[in-house]
Amino acid sequence: MEAGGDTAALAPGGTEDLEDTQFTSEETREGEGVHAVPPDPKEEGLEETEDHKLVFLQQGPLLLVAMSRTPQSAAQLRGELLAVHAQIVSTLTRASVARIFAHKQNYDLRRLLAGSERTLDRLLDSVEQDPGALLLGAVRCVPLARPLRDALGALLRRCTAPGLALSVLAVGGRLITAAQERNVLAECRLDPADLQLLLDWVGAPAFAAGEAWAPVCLPRFNPDGFFYAYVARLDAMPVCLLLLGTQREAFHAMAACRRLVEDGMHALGAMRALGEAASFSNASSASAPAYSVQAVGAPGLRHFLYKPLDIPDHHRQLPQFTSPELEAPYSREEERQRLSDLYHRLHARLHSTSRPLRLIYHVAEKETLLAWVTSKFELYTCLSPLVTKAGAILVVTKLLRWVKKEEDRLFIRYPPKYSTPPAASTDQAAHNGLFTGL
Amino acid sequence: MAAAAAGAGSGAWAAQEKQFPPALLSFFIYNPRFGPREGEEENKILFYHPNEVEKNEKIRNVGLCEAIVQFTRTFSPSKPAKSLHTQKNRQFFNEPEENFWMVMVVRNPIIEKQSKDGKPIIEYQEEELLDKVYSSVLQQCYSMYKLFNGTFLKAMEDGGVKLLKERLEKFFHRYLQTLHLQSCDLLDIFGGISFFPLDKMTYLKIQSFINRMEESLNIVKYTAFLYNDQLIWSGLEQDDMRILYKYLTTSLFPRHIEPELAGRDSPIRAEMPGNLQHYGRFLTGPLNLNDPDAKCRFPKIFVNTDDTYEELHLIVYKVTTIFPSHPTLDFCRRLDSIVGPQLTVLASDICEQFNINKRMSGSEKEPQFKFIYFNHMNLAEKSTVHMRKTPSVSLTSVHPDLMKILGDINSDFTRVDEDEEIIVKAMSDYWVVGKKSDRRELYVILNQKNANLIEVNEEVKKLCATQFNNIFFLD
Repeated sequence: MEAGGDTAALAPGGTEDLEDTQFTSEETREGEGVHAVPPDPKEEGLEETEDHKLVFLQQGPLLLVAMSRTPQSAAQLRGELLAVHAQIVSTLTRASVARIFAHKQNYDLRRLLAGSERTLDRLLDSVEQDPGALLLGAVRCVPLARPLRDALGALLRRCTAPGLALSVLAVGGRLITAAQERNVLAECRLDPADLQLLLDWVGAPAFAAGEAWAPVCLPRFNPDGFFYAYVARLDAMPVCLLLLGTQREAFHAMAACRRLVEDGMHALGAMRALGEAASFSNASSASAPAYSVQAVGAPGLRHFLYKPLDIPDHHRQLPQFTSPELEAPYSREEERQRLSDLYHRLHARLHSTSRPLRLIYHVAEKETLLAWVTSKFELYTCLSPLVTKAGAILVVTKLLRWVKKEEDRLFIRYPPKYSTPPAASTDQAAHNGLFTGL
Repeated sequence: MAAAAAGAGSGAWAAQEKQFPPALLSFFIYNPRFGPREGEEENKILFYHPNEVEKNEKIRNVGLCEAIVQFTRTFSPSKPAKSLHTQKNRQFFNEPEENFWMVMVVRNPIIEKQSKDGKPIIEYQEEELLDKVYSSVLQQCYSMYKLFNGTFLKAMEDGGVKLLKERLEKFFHRYLQTLHLQSCDLLDIFGGISFFPLDKMTYLKIQSFINRMEESLNIVKYTAFLYNDQLIWSGLEQDDMRILYKYLTTSLFPRHIEPELAGRDSPIRAEMPGNLQHYGRFLTGPLNLNDPDAKCRFPKIFVNTDDTYEELHLIVYKVTTIFPSHPTLDFCRRLDSIVGPQLTVLASDICEQFNINKRMSGSEKEPQFKFIYFNHMNLAEKSTVHMRKTPSVSLTSVHPDLMKILGDINSDFTRVDEDEEIIVKAMSDYWVVGKKSDRRELYVILNQKNANLIEVNEEVKKLCATQFNNIFFLD
């Protein structure tokens, strides 16, 4: 899918064409979608005929359009458009966008979005290559031994600065651990979509070296205000530290914080452990630490997405999911995309608003898929096409047992929280409208 | 959603929830070539229902459809838009002949709740309807029109736009009233024919009877032989037969139920005097064979419109349907005298077979398995889920949500050519199994809450062994 100016915001004139046919605005309420379905002519080389879908979404003064020839449902395409919109809001805030267009109806927003085209491209690519995050509304963590992760969490908890709201340690776009300031984020949980947005953001090439200081808005937390983010690579490694604060002038305090964290990590010997984890995968796209599906020890299992739903409620801050690296026969891009499409279809059926399902078992030519949602978990598995039903049940049972066993390593069970000294943070924060949403 | 549909809302809403099924909002036919310039837009519209709508609004609606079609053509040049989803309704587009467009607008189902302060809250259920079902219904509208009126182009040739508009008005004004959108489902996608399973001997007897009849009455072009609502043999092309079958089973036959079975409201035709030597009678055609002045009005139908384009007359002689050209009263008498007695004999043979079949498949009340089967090659369809069709509606013995799940599975099957199997467990703990093999599809609904995948599989295997034992489905 193409991203950038064309899908993010229509150039002036684009919106007017649709306004002529009044029904579009009459029928759709704010934020509501409209979509048209043209069928697809059979193309050479394409095994499946897939309908084109055109989805329209209105968010404030912006009209977003998605054109797709994938099997995603309209709701899923709308979700992608919302993610694109969130990306724009994170750069500009919703309030400024509204202000700009209230002031000048045909402003070309691309002027302010210069530079974010690649982020948007990557965002949309990740939907196809690595669908778990957007599909499941969850975040993927680096598998790490629990004692080390707890120690890192404690470290983050100790290294605070005035106005610090959120600290995140990440590697390869995946979360190591995060700590949230109790007062700021107590009322509102950190939305996993926001966290994923931050993880993607710090994965951008712009943050490849040294340190950076930039404003960022968390759209689902508060779409109208900015945080100030300090981003740094630690020790020339792919490990990244992100500190989100409410104070504009706090760069040096943040830098000091970073040095504390680095020292702490050295003391723990964490750098070596993370370095080993980081070098595991030689997948070219993500230098991301992960595990192979062979680790499960269930022959016939090719890939899976697992999202636990039975997290203890007072720790239910961070929906997460886990999934192994994609290996043969899904090493090529087309195969990854095909698998992603299959997961999307299963998800759409399981979560249909009018007729949701508990379980889907789909025997197809190239693979057998089993999707299952219970009160404890949501699971998508991809199995060999020749597996029997009895065999499939065996594989899934083995998988569930393995996940249970490795739970502490795969997920952050108890994200840490901390408190910063209240006095310095509140009066500085008021001016950037951070607390207007609370 | 399933809970709401079953009428079991929760908490404060429970007693005050009203449900409104999907309904036809509008239906129109237009050709953009007829009014390309400013000020001429009205000329594009060939038919519009409801007619009371103000002229400018009609023009606007047609204009919107044109715009959508044009817009989507940029992405998909050879095949433009099929449907448009909005919050309140869905629009379906069909271009049956070049530049002639048919559009059907269906209102989404609604749930109306009473809020705490007494004001009704209307909730549109946007994801409820299945596109394919209503697209198929729209296509059927054209097929049915074409069956009785020929193509649009032919009307244009015969009498220009004026004649076409007349024909469209006459046909659709009545036909639209027969659409029952709330009960359209998977079977509308199939548009299949229910065949009557017959033993070889009886089948051959029928074949030879038809051959002899066609020989002695040589204005007969095609014959189709039905028993009750099921087809035994047809000489017509498949596509023509399937739409004719739909007409016969949903429109003609229900109007002519045996007098003793007819309901209070159905028109009971005057009994024909006399010919007591057999049980044959005309369902279309002369009421009284002995009256020399009897009107001989037979419905005209158009078949083979793609090649030979034949205009024929439809004679339905219970139990046979016959297609001659230029029939007269004299012909009818001959038909009656030749066919009647032989049919009576055949009828009793078939009836015997019918009873044998019935005994074998068990009581109709509660079939052992609930399934729907369809074969794309011969259009054979069988459903133990649908109860006998009344003229107005087709009732199913399962929850409509399950039928929609079947529709979803069918959509998934259509995506690929290969054989596949999809098993789902619904929120209500019903299992639905869909199997596709070659060009056949089988859907089974099982009400076994605590079964697992393997047990469900075994049940379906049992069904296949009894009913479909010479058809290979994936294990």
